[in-house]
Amino acid sequence: MDIYLQQLPQQLVNGLTIGGVYALIAIGYTMVYGILSMLNFAHGEVYMMGGFAGWWVLHLLSRENVPIVNAGLVISLMIIISMAVTGLLGMGIERFAYRPLRKAPRMNLLLSALGVSIFLQNIVLNYQGAKARFFHVSSLIPEGIRVFQIGNVVFSFLRILVVVVAFLLMALLTVIVKKTKVGKAMRATAQDTEAAMFMGIDVDRIIVLVFLIGSALGGAAGTLVGLLFTQVDYYVGFQAGLKGFTAAVLGGIGNIFGAMMGGIILGLVESLATTFFPATYKDVVAFVILIIVLIFRPWGLMGEKIPEKV
Amino acid sequence: MDHDLIKKELSKTNKVILCAVIGIILVVVPHLMPNNYWLRIYAMTGLFVMLALGLNVVAGFAGLLDLAYVAFFGIGGYTFAFLSSNHFDIHLPFLLVLPLSALITMGFGFALGASSIRLKGDYLAIVTLAFAQIFKLLLLNLDRPINITGGVNGIYNFDPISIFGLKMISPVAYSYLIWFIAIIVIIGSFRIKKSRFGRGWEAIREDELAAEVMGVNTTRMKLMAFAGGSFIAGASGTLFASFQDSVFPNNFDFPQLVVVYCMVILGGLGNIVGVILGAILLSILPEFLREYGAYRMMSYGLILIVLMALRPKGILGGIEFLTKEKRRQDKDETGLLRASTDLYYSEGDLLEQNEKPRYTRSDRPILELKKVAMNFGGLMAVNNLSLRLREKEILSIIGPNGSGKTTVFNLISGIYPPSFGSIFFEGTDITGLKPHLVAKAGIARTFQNLRLFSNMSVLDNAKVGQFCRTKSGPLSILFHLPLHKEEETETEKIAEEILSLFGARLTGYRFNQNAMFLSFANRRRLEIARAMSTNAKLLMLDEPSAGMNPQETIEMTNFIKKLRDSHGYTILVIEHKLNVVKTISDRVMALDYGSKIAEGSYDEVANQKQVIEAYLGRKRN
Amino acid sequence: MKKSMSLIFLMIIGLIFWVPGLGHSADKAIRVGNAGAFTGDAAAPCMEIFNSSQIAVDEWNAKGGIKGMKIEHIMGDDAMDPAQAVNVAQKFCADNLMYGVIGPPMSHTAQATLKIYSGCDLALITTAASKADLTEQGYKNFFRVNARNDAHGWNCALFITRNLKIKRVAVLNEKVAYCENIASETIKGLKKLGIQDKDIMQDTIVAGAKDFSPVLTKVKTFNPDLLFFVATTAPDQAIGVRQAKELGIKATFFGTEGARDKKDFIQASEGAAEGAYVYHFAPDVYAIPEAAGYIKKFEAKYGSLSGFGPPAYEAMNILLAAMDKAAKAGKLTRKEVLKNVAQTKSFKGILGFPVTFDKKGDLEGGATYFFRVEGKDFKQITVMTGK
Repeated sequence: MDIYLQQLPQQLVNGLTIGGVYALIAIGYTMVYGILSMLNFAHGEVYMMGGFAGWWVLHLLSRENVPIVNAGLVISLMIIISMAVTGLLGMGIERFAYRPLRKAPRMNLLLSALGVSIFLQNIVLNYQGAKARFFHVSSLIPEGIRVFQIGNVVFSFLRILVVVVAFLLMALLTVIVKKTKVGKAMRATAQDTEAAMFMGIDVDRIIVLVFLIGSALGGAAGTLVGLLFTQVDYYVGFQAGLKGFTAAVLGGIGNIFGAMMGGIILGLVESLATTFFPATYKDVVAFVILIIVLIFRPWGLMGEKIPEKV
Repeated sequence: MDHDLIKKELSKTNKVILCAVIGIILVVVPHLMPNNYWLRIYAMTGLFVMLALGLNVVAGFAGLLDLAYVAFFGIGGYTFAFLSSNHFDIHLPFLLVLPLSALITMGFGFALGASSIRLKGDYLAIVTLAFAQIFKLLLLNLDRPINITGGVNGIYNFDPISIFGLKMISPVAYSYLIWFIAIIVIIGSFRIKKSRFGRGWEAIREDELAAEVMGVNTTRMKLMAFAGGSFIAGASGTLFASFQDSVFPNNFDFPQLVVVYCMVILGGLGNIVGVILGAILLSILPEFLREYGAYRMMSYGLILIVLMALRPKGILGGIEFLTKEKRRQDKDETGLLRASTDLYYSEGDLLEQNEKPRYTRSDRPILELKKVAMNFGGLMAVNNLSLRLREKEILSIIGPNGSGKTTVFNLISGIYPPSFGSIFFEGTDITGLKPHLVAKAGIARTFQNLRLFSNMSVLDNAKVGQFCRTKSGPLSILFHLPLHKEEETETEKIAEEILSLFGARLTGYRFNQNAMFLSFANRRRLEIARAMSTNAKLLMLDEPSAGMNPQETIEMTNFIKKLRDSHGYTILVIEHKLNVVKTISDRVMALDYGSKIAEGSYDEVANQKQVIEAYLGRKRN
Repeated sequence: MKKSMSLIFLMIIGLIFWVPGLGHSADKAIRVGNAGAFTGDAAAPCMEIFNSSQIAVDEWNAKGGIKGMKIEHIMGDDAMDPAQAVNVAQKFCADNLMYGVIGPPMSHTAQATLKIYSGCDLALITTAASKADLTEQGYKNFFRVNARNDAHGWNCALFITRNLKIKRVAVLNEKVAYCENIASETIKGLKKLGIQDKDIMQDTIVAGAKDFSPVLTKVKTFNPDLLFFVATTAPDQAIGVRQAKELGIKATFFGTEGARDKKDFIQASEGAAEGAYVYHFAPDVYAIPEAAGYIKKFEAKYGSLSGFGPPAYEAMNILLAAMDKAAKAGKLTRKEVLKNVAQTKSFKGILGFPVTFDKKGDLEGGATYFFRVEGKDFKQITVMTGK
């Protein structure tokens, strides 16, 4: 019993911080689903490309693994540029892969998303190779604040940053969706696309905007997580995607706060499962919990039961 | 009248020729293969055809996005590994293991289906995906502390199989075996599609709620779909394991799932021939790209995207195979172009109007609503409503929009139970019964917003109604037992009869036309026909003439009268057009804000102050 | 209806007769195959194998090929799926111009395809499949230019107990054939050498997970003297050693062959790898003069080199040499090539030791080399040969 108690504080911290990562990815998923009722399978790959975009910026701004400008500036540029790149990418995907399928059955859309995911993954594999790219974090963030200890528990600056950013983004998005005119247009489109059109809302524009924001979020997540784990490779999208939308669904897909909660809960479940079981079963535990939640609360933990109009 | 007959089935001789040709191909082809490589591809293609057709049952017919399908494939494979090797030292004969493994897998299919029955669309996909991931993780990790699944190293070196004493070791033998079973699965697929099961599934795919209301036990059918798909997957898995002489966790992973889904989507959901072609194409095509690694995968991705965008119905999208379609004749007997059939009245219609009514309303109550109320989270949609409907009576419900009229229908149908009160039909309490049981009891309805099964033919739409009146099960259907044959003939007869009541509009070449191609008025008629085909006693029509022009409205009005006068239906109608209400109703009930504000004959109700106010508002003094 | 029927018939008949015909290439050439998982999450090491083999093929072609004919290097991607690996095997077998195959690098795909390659007499040289029983099943065409994991595992156990004098070990391994088997063999060895059960911890890591903190926290609580981090690739081990250090784990870090990579392990860990150990079945390739040319070519085109490349280059050279010998003797057949490969004795290549295949097809000798990270490079510490 003792060994479990001993590691518990650290595991909680581990869980919270990986939860922040999942939340970051989940927010992108949930945004798109909330407005378009569509699970964008390609989101994971967008996230991956965001990571690469961030890496390229770092690479361009460094000589011999040392940044040539202020670290804060470098990181900000990384995030901004990767958001721009992935935002555009998301818009492109929407235009060419999803828009033609607006009226098609659900399965076709999901498969097209899958196709985009496979395509992007393998394009990167082909042209950039299978090797991972490194972020030389120690030159960006000094040792002292990168990792620090409080009592017996180790904290990492970047991990905390990720959680904070996830939280801020969530708050920002919620404000946009609930309080701004554009947000209102988004909510209208989500509820009833046709009616929104009749009200004069340019539904196509709104959808593009949603993809832009959702994908940009994915890109930011990719860069941040790349910094956090010091690496990005062509395959990170798949795992990240799976975890991300598990988190989104757990929290109630379509609900931005739910994405945050879902991410944190998933992270905690994983680290606690690792504590008590062989580490390999942590994914089994996570999925079992997901199944149980969905069976008894099909709309997720924070989601709303939407009655069907007959 | 148009007496064009549609031959949906191939004629007997054509069928025999087809079978003979296919038989010859299957016997000869393995020997035509130049080397083991193509022989292997040939055999694997057969396996994929099976696998794809199994998925076609779950995802193609029933429209259930089952992402755990590959796990069932794996369960079949590992079951064979457990039961026919040195792993656990169990050595059962193949002829026993094959059905056993299929049944075990079916059991898992049932379990998964039962747990996900309430989930819709995307959520079902996620739960099944989670299940598949769990399965793979268990395969990888259940090798410590006791070695159950072999872990990463898999299980290999199985017992060679023999069937009736014939040893099956050579690739040629395997290809015979695999394609033999594939043919059985193909035949089974065709048979199931043209049965009440196939129609029930497709109805669920098209519109689950409407299917339920039309009498399809959607819960049970969804379970059966899961079970059927996993049965086939399990059998395929067993064959596959024996063929590869090994099983590894990597055999049953996400990429394999994607490939099988591509096959089904490529072929078109539910389109059996399409799925077969899709399976053949996607078994052979990757082989040409094997040298190209990443390019191969990239092209998979591109194919998916492009295909979904350009031909969402699959490569064969819309092309019907193996049916003889009579094209609509543009010119009639005299050589003149035919006008739209909606305006095309034939002599017969006018004559029937002058027939004497065979039925009139009786005094016996058939439907009773006792103080029924419906509370939607604070909003009282229906408030303390009591009603006694007599047999063969026509009662119209009127009221402004939002007064709760459709809610009343929904409560009677069983779509949701009332918050208070009870509903009796023919003396039995049907309050809160599931919709398909309400249909079975004898109540059928149409929908305000039209809920047809768009991708099913007119005839099939009508046949769905007979689902609750028939009972052949999968065995009957698959073996073409007399019960199934009789029921099919009867169903077809009833459906055709009912459709012909609408004149030439829904008959002839229209039988095989997909419902989505009908004009608006015809679609309304089809909905009524579909409701009638459930052998209902009580018909509930929700705004049957909405959107129709005056001529069509007159026709509909007469038709509703005829429904009672000649056919003896009891009818509840929601209508806005007061001239229609006046013509058909024995009684009228007016609702406002969920409460009954008037009841009686048309004249009594129409002149009441409250009713006029409800529609037109109060006069300002 | 008639139209659709004839359409189906035409398509089927067309496929039956046209498609297999494509297999026969008119040109005369010599082919070598390369079977592996070039897509999917094991693509990195497999591509390194392919690219290294390609360098060898290019060099031979530059010298005129074999008997004047160009050598074609054919990729057979199986995406880690044994069923597809069988397809690849059948395809290679059916190709009359193919005389040998490099791969498969994964033990499970090797297991699935041994019978097929054996049945068509194709020489099969793997560079990474390490499961011991692959060469115990009696197949005469399977060879390894890498050590078996029972040899490796035993040597690692020896090194841990004798050289490092460790008493308490935590083993983390991926759930893939190579890692799982090395881990179990090592643990077996440790137990045999007297380490008690309570002093051994085993748990799993997932390749590419990027965050090992939860399981590393468990390790920290266990408080071992050594952390044996059995992952396939260098990047994962770089993250592992880094996060272990960040969490404050004091144990010595011990990685696998994959981590023998200056850039992707030492550099990537930004100092955290200092003092870590790795093992390898060959001595430091950078210290071998014969390898300089290959290293230069590889690094110029493909970036940094890890442990997977050199054996592939070696294996391809062995294979091509065997084919060349057969051609020169006028008997360019698969059986002859196979015979020559089996007779490989003291082949002097770039691995730093002469390659001889024993009766089972294994590498004779089976030594394990141990390195420690010092500064920016690896320093060889010792060699264990199983005694």
